[in-house]
Order: sequence, then structure tokens, then C-alpha cells
Amino acid sequence: METTCILVESWGWLTMTGAEKKIKVLLAKLGLEVHWRGVITVAGMLRDAGMEVIYVGNAFPEQIVKAAIQEDVDVVGISTLGGNHLTQGGELLDIAARSGIKDSTLFLIGGVFPPYDEPRLREIGFDGIFAPGATRGEIVGFIKEAMATRATT
Amino acid sequence: MSQKKTTKEMMKKTTKEILAQKVEKEGRIPLYNPEALQKIREEMEQWKSTVVREEDRNNWYVTPSTILGSQIPRGMLYTPLDNADLDYLRDLGFSGKEPYTRAIHANLYRGRRFTIRQLAGFGGPEDTNKRIRFLLDHGATGVSIIFDLPTIQEYDSDDPMSKGQVGMCGVAIDCVDDMATLFEEVPLDKVTVSLVSHYPTNTAILFPMYLEMASRRGIDWSKLTGSVQNDLILECVVRSAPEYIPPRDCFKIQCDNMEFTRKNVPGWNLVTFNGYNLRENGTSAITEMAVATANAIESLDEMVRRGHDVDWVAERIAFFWSPSNDFFEEAARIRAMRRLWYQIMKHRFDAKNPRALWMRCHVQTSGISLFREEPYNNIVRAAYQGLASVLGGAQSMHIDSYDEAYSVPTEEAALVSLRTQQIIQAETAVTEVVDPLGGSFYVEALTDEIEKRILDEVTEIEEMGGMVSAVEKGWLHKKVAKYAIEEQKSIEEGKINIVGHNYLRASDLDLPEINVFRYPEGVEERQKENLRKLRQKRDSRRVEGCLSQLREACQRGENIVPYCLEAAKADATEGEMFQVFKEAFGLWKPPVYW
Repeated sequence: METTCILVESWGWLTMTGAEKKIKVLLAKLGLEVHWRGVITVAGMLRDAGMEVIYVGNAFPEQIVKAAIQEDVDVVGISTLGGNHLTQGGELLDIAARSGIKDSTLFLIGGVFPPYDEPRLREIGFDGIFAPGATRGEIVGFIKEAMATRATT
Repeated sequence: MSQKKTTKEMMKKTTKEILAQKVEKEGRIPLYNPEALQKIREEMEQWKSTVVREEDRNNWYVTPSTILGSQIPRGMLYTPLDNADLDYLRDLGFSGKEPYTRAIHANLYRGRRFTIRQLAGFGGPEDTNKRIRFLLDHGATGVSIIFDLPTIQEYDSDDPMSKGQVGMCGVAIDCVDDMATLFEEVPLDKVTVSLVSHYPTNTAILFPMYLEMASRRGIDWSKLTGSVQNDLILECVVRSAPEYIPPRDCFKIQCDNMEFTRKNVPGWNLVTFNGYNLRENGTSAITEMAVATANAIESLDEMVRRGHDVDWVAERIAFFWSPSNDFFEEAARIRAMRRLWYQIMKHRFDAKNPRALWMRCHVQTSGISLFREEPYNNIVRAAYQGLASVLGGAQSMHIDSYDEAYSVPTEEAALVSLRTQQIIQAETAVTEVVDPLGGSFYVEALTDEIEKRILDEVTEIEEMGGMVSAVEKGWLHKKVAKYAIEEQKSIEEGKINIVGHNYLRASDLDLPEINVFRYPEGVEERQKENLRKLRQKRDSRRVEGCLSQLREACQRGENIVPYCLEAAKADATEGEMFQVFKEAFGLWKPPVYW
């Protein structure tokens, strides 16, 4: 498969365009977190599943919400392995709620976090939580199902 | 003469071309005599057609599907025919003697067992200090410090960008005072310390802080032993970050660190060419070593250009590898790299000092090979990886903990990692014999093949204009992303078997939950308060003066490390120094592929 080359601006992004009504996903590394293997792998999975993917690299809660609004995305997926999932994850959902996009957007988080934090992540407002080992089927299936449910309600 | 030919002639020779020219081919003495080989060949044909099943005959070569493997096909049985032209003295020789295939020391682990160097870092410096002392009290023989997200990314704990991340994933260090707390009561003149400073820019800030801390404790720098990482591949390729400086400047700082350290801290390893994180990020057993080698070659070229004696510089460089699941490949790889590095140093750099000919390495078992399901299985995985590294002759080791797919290791899990190494050393007797796999038809064939493939990839990089150019062009970013995505697919498709994850997954196991590490609380507030006090008590005019001198040194192209040291002495913070780098060198946008 041909790898797609996208040059990401420092705080900007380029979009993969495609057919109409694709599910549009914004992906970001949360805050100062350093590992990019997971998020890039997920970006590839979602593209292969026919979604439009925007990857903004490292971004902070406010920037993520701003980008989500500007790009009018359906899904926001953040990745972190570094332990900031509750602190910055919480801030992200707070800002999303204040900006009025929390209910209209699907918020997902993936990465390494202790199992005891998972209920807390749900309380904060993440719709989907994906720990290491989450499969393509689980991630893509979750998004498609959630989008289908939203379309019918 | 055509223009084209002139340009080609002017081009630098690749390392492969130099080795092809200089490594003597004449006068080889094959270990196996032609008559015996002929007899073996005939008998083998006979055996294959009569004893071996047709199915096995037709599938003689199998390419193992393993995490981060090399994709080298393996025969079903190895014989002297696979090492037909082996010249014992030239290709293997004796331990502690050229070409060092067997080991860098004659007595290897009999003289000195591998250093047990467990990684530690979380919370504030006082929290990690406790963990360091716990590990040392239980027999660790070295210390390895990992820094938190803001420290790795070079922001202060009170920077708005650091909010909610202080002390996460490592220890928070902002200034010399924090270094002092981190190493309180740790005998720095006796214990070797590895600062996992990752990046060149980071090293240029944190290592001077370490040195200044030692000075304040009255410890002479000549007594300090240990290492920094200082690797541009980590800074510009492996890392995801909000802000990067350009690779070319980063490379320059990498070399500045090497130069400064060599001149001022004689017992310190000035660079650890880091294959580990690159491989974990997504690359093969081969590329990991090829990239580190290409970076090492380019760095030494630069050191020579700066007028330094290669023997003097190279005796203090080290490598860092990630042993993964393919057991014999991991042992063979370390042997292959040792022989290749010797040849490069001897024939490309004309090194004479034996220490400069050694490929010395630290290994850390593979984190990416650990899985969340049935976490205790990870103890077994890491133990095999550690054992393979010892059979390969590694100098120092960290064994990953079984709970790392959940969080930073608990004390309990860190102790199991420590004990795994001690069991290898004290209970298995593998350290009594040097290079126990040497002479195995299989391992020698694998060693040859791996060495050849590493050199092929080094050549590919050199033909692109070297490692820095390959990074600037995005070649490595692309290669790594492609590998990671393909490997993920192989796991999904069940080509790579992971017990308990995608292979023999148990649905009915009722395992007790493991303890998972909890970060200490209040670290961010403590660090912020300490910084507030520091900024109040220090001489801010002196700090500003030091920072502006650092900025000018960056712009003049001078070695910047002495200026970083002055800034550290004045209690400048990490974030303040990184700010200077960003202003002086500008920012770079790395390519992203998926």
C-alpha cells in the first residue's frame, strides 16, 4: 500500500480529502506526550476504513477543541501513554462542553493507563476508551456504530 | 572525461566500499576442508531425499514472524555448509581480541558481570530518589534516570504547557537544585549513572546541571562515571513534540555534547547511539542497528573534522539496543554488530586504541512486546530477551517490568525485573563461559547475514547523503511509520503469535487484578513552589547574562555546552535554556506519514 505523505504544520494541519459524507476524525497527541507509533497506526486504520483523518500532532486541550470546531469533525481521538490522561483529558472535555461540542462529537482516548482510571475516564466524558491491544475491529467498529446510532437518534 | 564521472569520483566512498577495499580477502584459512564439505554436501542431499519429509524439504526456509523481527529466512537445519568459508581467526577469533565477535573482554562476565541498571523515574526528584535507593539497596549496580514529559520536552514545571503532566512518565527536573535532591545520598563517585536524556538539546541542558550538582557536592568530575543518550534520531524522528529545532542544528549539538564531555569528564560515555527507541517505535532488528551505525559514523566524521583524534573520542561511545522475541536473532545481532563496528573503526577510521574498536552496549528488553492480557506472561518474555542479550555479550541491562502495559512499574514489579537479572547472573551459570553460542552453525550463519544486512542499510543511508539528510528528507519517518502499521496488521491477521493476546487467548480466566502504580500526588505544586522560590533567590541579572551569552554562542556556531554550564551554575532552568535554542535555531516541522 502506498503511504500517504502529509506535512503537518507546527500548529496547523492538512486534511485528507475524499468522497462526501466520510466520517471525519481529528487525531492528536495529548499535550507533551512523546510516543507516536500508536496514533499513527490508528490513523492508518481509520483511513483504511474510509474515514477522513486529520492528524495535528501534539496539541493541548484548547487547541484540540478549536481544531475540532474549525474542521467540523465527527470524532476527536487523543492518544497518550504518559500519565496525563485524567488531568489534560479532563480539561479537554471541560473545554469541549463549554464550547458546546461535547454532545455532538465523539470523544475517544487511546494509550496506556491503569485499569482503575478507566471508570474515571468515562465519568469525565470519554465515549470510547482503548487500552493497548485494542484491535482495528474494536476501534473502527466502535466509531461506525456510534455514528450510526447518532444518525438515527 | 565526462562531467558525470568527475562528480562520481568526487563522491565520498561508502563505508561498504571502504571495507570491501581494505578488509583482506587473501590468505583466508577456511576452518572446514573442502573434502569434508563435499562429503557433508553429498550426505546431506542423500539425507534430504530419504529422511526429510517432502513437506519439510519444500519448506526448508521459513521466515519467522516475530515482533520487530528482521524477516531473515531460516533453514530447518544448519551444518558446516552454512559456514563453508569460515576462517576462525579472522571471523571469530578470541574474546577480547580482534575482530571482537566473541566478546570485547577476554574473560567477559567472569571479570565483571553485566551491570544491572534498572530505569527509575516518576514524580518529583525526592520520589525518584527513594526508588533509586531501593534499587541500589537490593543489589542494582547502576542507576538509570528517566525524566518526566515536561523535562523530556524541555519545559519547566511551571510552564502552562506542562500543566497536568509534571512527574508523569518520569521524574521532574527543572534546575540544579532538583538534580541535587534526585541524587541525595547516592554515591556518585561509586555508582555509574545513566541519564536518559534522550535528545541532544536535552543533554546539553541536563548534563551540565548534573555536573554542577556534582561540583556543589565537592565531587571531582574525573570521578564521575556513567552515560548520557544524546541522540538526534530520538529528538527528530522517534519523538512526538510540539516544538523541534532543525536536524542539522540538533546534530551539531549532539557533537558539541560529545566534544565537551570527552574533554571534561573522562569517565563518561558521551553518546549512546540509541537503536532502542527507534526500534520500539517501529523498525526491524536490522534498521535499528543500521541507523545507529550511520549516526555514529557521521558523528565521528564530524569529530575528526573538528580536529579530534578518533581513538580519543571513540573509546567513550556506547550503543543501546532493544532485544525482542526472536531469541537467536537477538544474540546473533549483538555479535554481528560487534564485528561490524570493529571493522568500521579499524578500516574506515584507522582507529588503533582497542577501546575505540569495541561496540559496548546497554540493552533494555522490548517494551512493545509486552501485553496487557495475563501480565505475568511478560516476566517470561522479558527473561528470554534478557538471556539472549547475555548470550550476545551485552555490557549492561534493564529488564522491563510486567506491568508496563498498564503504567510505570510498581516497586514490586521493579523488584521482579531486578531479580530476573540476578537469577541469570547467579543461578543459570551462563556467565561462566564467554560467547557460548560461538561456533553454532546456525548462530554463525545468522551473525553473517545480519552483519551484511546492517551494512547494506548503512550504505542506503550514506547514498542519501548521510543520516542527517535521511532524517531531513523524511526517509526514516516514512520507514518507521510503514513498519509500525504493517506490524500491527500482522498481529491482527495472526501472522505474529502473541500468547494470551491473539493466540490461545483465554476468555474464562479469572486472574486476580495486578497492583498498578499510582503516581505520587502534589508533585506539580511542589515543583512550581520550588521554582517560584528559586526565581526569587537567584541573581536574575546573572541568569539573563548567561542566557544571552548562550544565545550568542548558538548564533556564532561555537560549542554551546560551556555556556549551558554557566547558565546551570547561575540556576537557569531547563525551559529558559530551551527557549534560547528555539530562538537561535528556529523551529522545524518534521514530516508525518501514515
